This record gives sequence, structure tokens and C-alpha cells, in this order.
Amino acid sequence: MRAIAKAFGAGAALLLAGCATAPDPSGANDPYESFNRDMFNFNRRVDRAVIKPVAEAYVDAVPDVARDSVHNFFVNLDLPITFANDVLQGEVERSGETALRFTLNSTLGVGGLFDVATTNFKLPFHTEDFGQTLAVWGVEEGPYLVFPIVGPNPPRDAVGHVVDIAFDPMTYIDIREQFLWSAGRSVLEGVDLRARNLETLESIERQSIDFYASVRSLYRQNRNNEIRNGQPDVTNLPNL
Amino acid sequence: MLGFGNSLRKMLIAFTLLASTGVAGVSAAYASAAAENFVQTNVNRGLQILNNKSLSKQQRQEQFRGFLLGLTDLRRIALYTLGPARRTATPADQDAFVEAFRNYAFAVYEAEFTKYGGQTLRVTGSVPHGPGDELVRTVLVDPQASKGQEPIGVDFRVYASGGHFSVVDIVVAGLDLAITEQEDFGAFLAQHNNDVRALTANLRQRAERVRATGQL
Repeated sequence: MRAIAKAFGAGAALLLAGCATAPDPSGANDPYESFNRDMFNFNRRVDRAVIKPVAEAYVDAVPDVARDSVHNFFVNLDLPITFANDVLQGEVERSGETALRFTLNSTLGVGGLFDVATTNFKLPFHTEDFGQTLAVWGVEEGPYLVFPIVGPNPPRDAVGHVVDIAFDPMTYIDIREQFLWSAGRSVLEGVDLRARNLETLESIERQSIDFYASVRSLYRQNRNNEIRNGQPDVTNLPNL
Repeated sequence: MLGFGNSLRKMLIAFTLLASTGVAGVSAAYASAAAENFVQTNVNRGLQILNNKSLSKQQRQEQFRGFLLGLTDLRRIALYTLGPARRTATPADQDAFVEAFRNYAFAVYEAEFTKYGGQTLRVTGSVPHGPGDELVRTVLVDPQASKGQEPIGVDFRVYASGGHFSVVDIVVAGLDLAITEQEDFGAFLAQHNNDVRALTANLRQRAERVRATGQL
């Protein structure tokens, strides 16, 4: 375990170091563009062949209410990660909201199946992750990277995902067949996410001239929006 | 005597600066209110057209298109999306591109038009970016959205010049349309030797395909 963490740390350090020195003719901070495009196209093929059909079947076979419960369950399970990162970012009020949400939904919401925090208590909802925390601490995103299946995952966010494993209480609970549980959970969370974005992604693809570039742009804009907690970035508005 | 005069002059300058920021503050507040009013009024006008059952779908579409044309500065948006390539394009090429962009924008709009389902926008405030440059914030109110969903923010970048307002950009849930389009077109141009005509031709083809099939 420790050896793995060390290896990740070393790899991450290398990637992050690459941010400062990589050449960037296109101005889009995408020095590995050719590799990324290949990976992007591979992901699209896998999506067309497997992921999207599974997500569509899921939507067809499982009623709204059940799908909402599945979604709520996973969102709730991930709240401790949000809580840890709220605290690391010094967000007192938001960490309080997260703690309250987790408590309400886990108890009154029957193990997270029902989002009573929103429907009954009108509690605002947000998520945080270590990639966002790193950004708040001043770490740059790094060169754009596309991972297999997962998709866009630049160094700062990739490191963030690894660290968040340590913030997830499920990592420490001794489940028999921990690997199967983790894998199953990842798959189901993936299907849930894909099912919720079927129309959106299709829409973006249809409207783009260069789908890869559009996704790259949208990924970054979305991340920056998350990092700013939804506040508009008035200092960086385009100069029209 | 001179020393006192210097202090007096400094005080005068300081006072003038303060007063002018005060005045600027007041006119800025006025400009914000005017921009917000512009957005809300036009949101309501737009909704009137969209919900006008006495018109055919075709008529509603045409009226709404005319309405949008008067509201937005499409030329400015189009030229922005060209990015650095704009500087090397001839005026004729720029004009041809703006025309193709306009047609493509409306082809996309028409294809998505049928999906309108009773949503409305509510102005929640505005953030000034400079003189005659406001970001008006609204919230999407969707009767069809499930109860738990966070409201989607839609921001309008409004420019004022000569007493006339126009929308030059839209930001939906933090995603800026002009930026996204510029990066999309920029990638295409990078792979086509910065040839604006190639981009123009591509947009024309797409617009034609959308019109022919009725779908994006």
C-alpha cells in the first residue's frame, strides 16, 4: 500500500513538474495532444460499443425513482470526501452543510437512498475533491491529459483522485472482497453518471466542429467553475 | 504659504477623486439596473413570442429569430471566435465568415427550438465589468426539473453603446459560449493552416445539413 502511494507520489511529481517545462505551440496547454486525441477516440469507441448502450438499457429497465435512489446513495457515500476537502479549504460554513447533509440523508434518508436534506430541509448541495483543494492552494492544472475510460484527467485532478481514496471511509472498512466492492461501485457510479448525461454529450458532439477541443474547453471551464464554487470569474471574461 | 497650498491642492485632488468615484458609483449602479432591466424585459418579450399559441410554429420561430437578431451582436461574437486568425483574414473573408456563423447559429437554434418546454429566466442581479459592460445574472426556472436539482445559472454579458444594449455572450452554469466556440474553431483552424475560408465552408455545410435534415 505504502509502496503504491510512493509510486503515485513520484509519478505525480513528475507530471506536475512537466507542467513548467512542456512546449506549447497551440497555446492550449496540450503538449500531448496527439496522444490525447488517440485516447479520446478510443474512449468514444468504447462508449459507443459498451458504456452508452449499458447506460441506455439502465434507463429503460430501471424506473426513475429507483435510479434516483441509486444516485442519492452514491452521492451520499462520497460526502465524506467533500467534507474532508471543505475542511482543507477552510470552508467552515460549507463543511457544516456537508456534515449536516450526510447525517440527515444517512439517517432520515435511510442510508442515503432519499435526499431529504434537499427536499425537506432545502439544504444547498455542493461537492469538493482534492483536485479542487489543490487548485485553491494555488497548484496549476498542468498539461491536458486524457485517460482511458475516465476521460479528461490532467495531473492536478489525477493526483486529487488518488488522494481522495484516502479520504473515503469505505477504503478503511474491512469488507470481504474489497476489490470487488470497489470495482462494482465504480462501474455502477459510472453507469449512473453516463445515464444522466446522455443528451448533454450528444448535444455537444452534434454542435462541435472539433469534439475533442470542445470537450477540453468545457472540462476546464467546468473545473474552474467548481473551484470558484459557482461564482462568476469577472476578472477573466473574454475580451469581445 | 507654499506648503499649505500644496496640502490644499492635494486635498482638492483627493476630494475630486472621491467625488468622481461617488458619481461613478451612482452611474455604475444605474448602468447595472438598466442592464438588468434590459435582460428581464427581453426575457419576458421572448417568452411572449414562444408561448403565443395564436401563431404557427413557423411564425413563432421566425418572430423569435428576428427578436434574437435585434438583441445580440452576432458580428462581434463571430469575430471573437476566430481568435488570432482574425488578424490575418481579409475583410471580405471576415464578412463571409460572419454570414456563415450567423446562418449556422440560427440553424442550431431552429433545430433546438422544438425542445422549449416552458422554462423561464429570472434576473437575480448583475456584476459590472467596466463602463458599458455588465454581466447580468439570471437563474433558469424549469417547471419540468425534478425537485432536488440545483438551479442553473445563466449569465448574459451585456454591452451598452450609444444608449443601445446588446448581448455579446452567454455563460450557462459557468460554461462560456464565446470561449467554447473560440476554442472549438481554434482547434479546427490549427489543423487547417489558419484558413478562415475552410472554417466558413465547414459552417456553411453544417447549416445546410441541419436545414435539410431538420436535425443537428
